[in-house]
Amino acid sequence: MLELKNISFAYKAQSPVINNVSLTIATGEFLAIAGRNGSGKTTLTRLIMALKKPTSGEITLDGKTTKKSGPADMARSIGYVFQNPDRQIFHDTVIAEVAYGPEQLGYSPDKVTEMVNQALTATGLTELASAYPATLSRGQKQRLAIASALAMEPKMLILDEPTSGQDNIERNQLMKLLADLNKQGLAILLITHDMELLAAYATRVIVMDHGTNAYDGTPATLFKNTAQLKKWGLTEPTAMNISQNLEDLGIVPTTSITDLSNHLIDMMGRSTHAKSSAAY
Amino acid sequence: MQKAAPLTKLILTVFVTIWAIMLQSIPALAILIAAQLLILILSKVSAGIYKGVASLFIFAFLLGGLQYVFSNDIILSVVTALKMTAMTLVFAILLATTRMQDLSAALVTQCRVPYEYAFMLTAALRFIPDLLTESKAIQEAQACRGFSPGGNPITRLTSFMAIIKPLVLKSVSRSETMALSLELRGFGSKKNRTFGSNVALEVRDYAMLALMTAITISLILVRF
Repeated sequence: MLELKNISFAYKAQSPVINNVSLTIATGEFLAIAGRNGSGKTTLTRLIMALKKPTSGEITLDGKTTKKSGPADMARSIGYVFQNPDRQIFHDTVIAEVAYGPEQLGYSPDKVTEMVNQALTATGLTELASAYPATLSRGQKQRLAIASALAMEPKMLILDEPTSGQDNIERNQLMKLLADLNKQGLAILLITHDMELLAAYATRVIVMDHGTNAYDGTPATLFKNTAQLKKWGLTEPTAMNISQNLEDLGIVPTTSITDLSNHLIDMMGRSTHAKSSAAY
Repeated sequence: MQKAAPLTKLILTVFVTIWAIMLQSIPALAILIAAQLLILILSKVSAGIYKGVASLFIFAFLLGGLQYVFSNDIILSVVTALKMTAMTLVFAILLATTRMQDLSAALVTQCRVPYEYAFMLTAALRFIPDLLTESKAIQEAQACRGFSPGGNPITRLTSFMAIIKPLVLKSVSRSETMALSLELRGFGSKKNRTFGSNVALEVRDYAMLALMTAITISLILVRF
């Protein structure tokens, strides 16, 4: 769906922020971008949104070049949810806020209402439709930002660290929402520092390092590569760390706490069984 | 110019304003402006300042044009525009070559301005770049939702509400945070506060002050 061909970008000619990145994002993918601060994660997504133009290379959307597109054109296909939802909220009600995007794109009032209602239902904000956005909780504001993007019926949603500053319940709700949207066919591109989330939800990970995509593959393979992880400024999820340390005991490395504990219970069950049978 | 004491530069702004008011001929005002530009260049200020100076010239040109339309006196309009430029340019010199904390230190310790007022001035000045960055970020956020300024001036104005509203809301909450953090760090708790920066006058400053006074006196003598 989206293809980046040899993209480079630099604020100053001698120090490129993005250095010759090529990648393809397919319809319905759940992709996470990780990497240390300043590695080029956000810049990459800003280039995709046409908020910045690459100094060289080309980005195509459904086979068409986006050289002449602005962010407002890209918004028809790609929704962008910023880290700070306060920067975009300005209407007096949730429903008016969500309607802003489709109205800007020039849809008829009936179509706008339909799009808004769908977006509110999808994000679970229907009951808050007439609420004043400033009074919403951080998590609700984040969902409002997602609804605003969804209302424009994009094929892909980019989220820049959407879980920062949220409590566990809000975080889990948000991730469940993203997983549901992804199941309905929406491609998700998530920038995150949270390796647990990444391991649990993403099907593909891109690690950015000094402006290049140093890794592109599944989370499972990524976390096996302990030496490289350190170099990229990442840490494996706790479950992966424990299971790797217990590999000698016959534990299969896993990123999921549930899998690990099941495995351990299984083993303990077996060993207590072995002991008890020995006693007899 | 960076080495001169802030007080010297403050006095320079006063003197330049007086000179600009006193001078009536186009060449004299042009020399005053040229001298100020020379100071800016010699002080090696950043490129952003020159942009500001350029817009100052455009503004002065518009002002002169407006005056010409209404008074139909070309000399008077040119003189007004030049006076305006000369008076405002000196503030560009002051702000571009003085650190904010030095400026408020000079205002409080040497000019006896109450600290709250000096702080108000410097706080307002330092908010400007913050506001510009914030408004750029908001514009980008709205652009991703289909915002594109265009059309006739009225639709353009109304569409800019999408930028202005979040900007105002964020600025209010930001100033609240700033006020709180100031109070938590003891703002206004003592009448006699001290400053870390050294703003005392040196030989260089006295020489500049003497030169400025001499120019003023000779101007007065020439005029009357």
